[in-house]
Amino acid sequence: MSRPVYVLGAGAHPWGKWPETTQLQMALDAMNAALGEAALGWPDVQGLVAASSRFQGGMGWGLHANEVAQAAADQGMACINVGGACAAGAIAFSTAYAMIASGQYDVVAALGAEQMPRGFIPRPPGSQDDPTDHDYLRWVTMGATNPAFWAMEAQRRKHDFGTTDETYARAAMLMRRNAQGNRLARFRKETGLEEVLGSPMVADPLHLLEICPVSDGAAAVILGTEAFARRSGAKLVQVAGCATATGSFGDPGRRIPTVSGSVRPGISSTSEVVTAAERACAMAGIGPEDVDVLELADNTAWHILAWPELLGFCEPGEADGLLASGAFDIGGSAVALNPSGGFLSFGEATTAQAVLQICEVSWQLRGTAEGHQVPNARIGMTAVLGLSSNGGSVILTV
Amino acid sequence: MTGASVAVPVVDGLFALVAGEARLTGTRCASCGTHYFPRAISCRNPACRDKQVEPAALPNTGTLYSYTIQHYQPPPLFRMDDWAPYALGVVDLGEGLQVMGMLTGVPLDEIRIGMALRLVIEPLYLDAERGEVLTYKFAPLGGEQAA
Ligand SMILES: [Zn+2]
Repeated sequence: MSRPVYVLGAGAHPWGKWPETTQLQMALDAMNAALGEAALGWPDVQGLVAASSRFQGGMGWGLHANEVAQAAADQGMACINVGGACAAGAIAFSTAYAMIASGQYDVVAALGAEQMPRGFIPRPPGSQDDPTDHDYLRWVTMGATNPAFWAMEAQRRKHDFGTTDETYARAAMLMRRNAQGNRLARFRKETGLEEVLGSPMVADPLHLLEICPVSDGAAAVILGTEAFARRSGAKLVQVAGCATATGSFGDPGRRIPTVSGSVRPGISSTSEVVTAAERACAMAGIGPEDVDVLELADNTAWHILAWPELLGFCEPGEADGLLASGAFDIGGSAVALNPSGGFLSFGEATTAQAVLQICEVSWQLRGTAEGHQVPNARIGMTAVLGLSSNGGSVILTV
Repeated sequence: MTGASVAVPVVDGLFALVAGEARLTGTRCASCGTHYFPRAISCRNPACRDKQVEPAALPNTGTLYSYTIQHYQPPPLFRMDDWAPYALGVVDLGEGLQVMGMLTGVPLDEIRIGMALRLVIEPLYLDAERGEVLTYKFAPLGGEQAA
């Protein structure tokens, strides 16, 4: 059997640098906010799926959901901890969805919380110095940082489509503009062209303000049956589609941390995300043209241009013109792109980021995205990429 | 290459001089012809059934697919003497194989997508115990070579 699943409530701890609090406390804050929106309490929660942190907590092995359960509600809940790097939140959501759709549970929460290390994201602890390990080789043989991978995509786009430095800067400016009204965002000051282009060059052609920094943050979504969804009296938000996927052989993208690619013609770049989005669309019975709000993983300004094309929202090379015309703005003529302000305005709190995307879409559909509301949003979609070929996508409808 | 008496590769088994030419050591799938770098324990091609992989010296010339210049010093796992902003590139070696590496022997403002490159082995840093540590890089084909 499969039964409809609804978002009962969403909640988040504001993004920022919060060294004085703990990852666990932020997770509890996000959960309590989500429970409040759902008009539910901890005794109603039957399962907890956590996007396991790579960096902190979890007794060193990512047992994040269990920590939350032991801190807040020792009540026999099913606790599941999933990996998937920056896509872990989407994988947690899909797992929680399946637990309810299967009929086994009525109320399950998906959550992610992260306190990030400073600066460049380091190698995972305990990694082997293995000559066949791409992550080892990319550091010792050439020192390739994550921005270098994204920068090579951005440089190639300039060559293929004539994308200008100004267009990349304006993509970043759109994110900052959207974030102005979002109380959860970390960077909420409108940013000008000179400021973006005048920020330090990190990896040509990407400037500092065109690359997402790292942040601390936490987000939670409570999923459940229709009967529970009707409790709060709020607009019913249904999960129309959700999917995870891994990459396809021959993907031509620059895939962190790989130092090589075995490229085949006819395979999409960022194939793990493209496949996940296609599966979510098929499940929902919609296409990109039906989507009002798209929250995508904008690790850089390049992603804001490339991903709408890869996901079928427009043709390759068209995003530059759509951005320039304001079509991607809140209230613009095309899909509203990251009305939350995106990773560029939040900074990335890896495992929490995909859950936050889903929270944002839920608020947009309920009409409660105060300060950054997309008018008449009825269908919203998320798309996220995690290291090691993890893609996730969620589609919500009202 | 310089004439240092002791020189070691930054990682063993990654590249070698074959008949005086720098070559990357990778894997070729004898079943479907796919090339991999670094060495792969199996073939990733889902349509390939036998997956008979064998060591292979990879092509050592190609064209620049894309590049960037790193302006910030990477974390300490990467070592380089006299650090200064430097270029990284993705080089298309043919047969679908694209390999990333440092670029050398070309001024940063003269790097162009599509330029012809060849593999070289050059010093990265001098280590008190190991001696001169070498890595692979890509240099303009037919142009002068650094060092
Ligand atoms: Zn094969």
